Amino acid sequence: MRPEHKPKIIAFCCNWCGYAAADLAGIQRIQYPDSLRIIRVMCSGMVHPEMVLHALNKGADGVMIIGCQLGECHYIDGNEKAMARAELIDELLEDFGFENDRFLITRLSSSESEQFARTVGTMHKRVLELGPNPNSNQDNGDTP
Amino acid sequence: MNIRLAAESLHSCSGCEISLLNIGEALIPLLNRLQLVHLPLLMDHKYSDPAGSETEISIPKAEIGLVSGGVANTHQLQVLEAMRKSCTTLVALGTCGTHGGIPAMINEWPMADALQTVFSTVTTEPVDVPNQDTPPMLDRVYSLDEKTDVDIFLPGCPPDPTIIARVLEDFLDGLTPEPVTKSVCDTCPTRRTGKSERKLLRFTANARFDSNESTASMQCLLEQGFLCMGPVTAGGCGHQGEPACIRARVPCRGCYGPVRHQDNQMLGMLNGLVSQGIDFKTIIDRKSMLRFSGAHGRLRPLKEKKRAS
Ligand code: SF4
Ligand code: SF4
Ligand code: SF4
Repeated sequence: MRPEHKPKIIAFCCNWCGYAAADLAGIQRIQYPDSLRIIRVMCSGMVHPEMVLHALNKGADGVMIIGCQLGECHYIDGNEKAMARAELIDELLEDFGFENDRFLITRLSSSESEQFARTVGTMHKRVLELGPNPNSNQDNGDTP
Repeated sequence: MNIRLAAESLHSCSGCEISLLNIGEALIPLLNRLQLVHLPLLMDHKYSDPAGSETEISIPKAEIGLVSGGVANTHQLQVLEAMRKSCTTLVALGTCGTHGGIPAMINEWPMADALQTVFSTVTTEPVDVPNQDTPPMLDRVYSLDEKTDVDIFLPGCPPDPTIIARVLEDFLDGLTPEPVTKSVCDTCPTRRTGKSERKLLRFTANARFDSNESTASMQCLLEQGFLCMGPVTAGGCGHQGEPACIRARVPCRGCYGPVRHQDNQMLGMLNGLVSQGIDFKTIIDRKSMLRFSGAHGRLRPLKEKKRAS
């Protein structure tokens, strides 16, 4: 029998909204899948596509970027940049051998803790359906 | 004691060796301090040790070994391993060795499909893919560091002769050559205005410049709308104070590979263009941005699903 697949999802959360929403979800003790590994960034606009690809190359099963609602970015238009890049990531992941469903960008305000948990749940399900990242146990020649 | 030098060409075009010879007069004082023990391009040398086994590849011991080209077949892999065993310091000479180079463009297709295509074009007589007396191909083209430890990376297609000379001099003087940290843009004198085209142009028209003036008076080619790979390419080409292609008023093609060894030229370039508001979907041949750095799994065949559509 195949060992149970325990996915790992990396989430880049912006300090002001995504991370605050995750924090609130914690305070309110809202349950969400334990596959999530949060990396706090100052703005979703600073997440270079290379970081998303690096996470996948190193074996993450899914990657999320969680930023602020449009118009609410603390750095004016960081989340708009992130959206433009997300479109690029969506398109490019297949070039590098990954299903584009392994990536998800979403926008939350800092009070939307329920929404946060729901989105993580959706992503968790998606990744379970996709199965393990083909690179999870091998070095992909992505030199350190 | 003289420092011994061994050199080998693997999946390469010999351009790197020509560049080595192009060091010109400066090569003569270097040769006084170097002892060439193995250099198939210039001297005849048999691999197999007459006293040893027939099949084993033996290369004389050397302090410094230059290897150009990547690795694409089993023979090249054996030669590379023999070089690694014999040389104290191994130098990857040229972008083929550091990042796969032009030959790694084949990595976009499964090797079997690629061979089939090459040996059965519509204009040639159909022949079988040769499989006798030729070493079997690996599954793809690899850079040297994917197959063995490399001490010094010297990219460039080919590396500028002055860079090769400087690395050899440094080595002879017991210094560690400094790695490149600058991009082509960092070494480029063109004029940046901060205003750029929102659309990419094909290089079917010339850039705007005044041929009586220096390149410093020409507007940055990327700003003019040409796909100049300068921002994501390691600097070092052109020793006359400006990048070689920019001096010829054409955009950088990216031949020195990425600025940091592990960077991805296509991803970096597209990221920059997208942040500038350019629609990346208008670049239909984006994979060509990896034309020099397709090893390390950067270029790979698309999954069946997508190719079928
Ligand atoms: S790096 Fe360029 S010049 Fe050197 S072997 Fe490769 S293709 Fe030829
Ligand atoms: S983009 Fe090209 S032309 Fe512009 S500064 Fe960089 S190397 Fe020079
Ligand atoms: S400008 Fe770019 S393509 Fe031209 S020689 Fe320099 S690195 Fe190579």
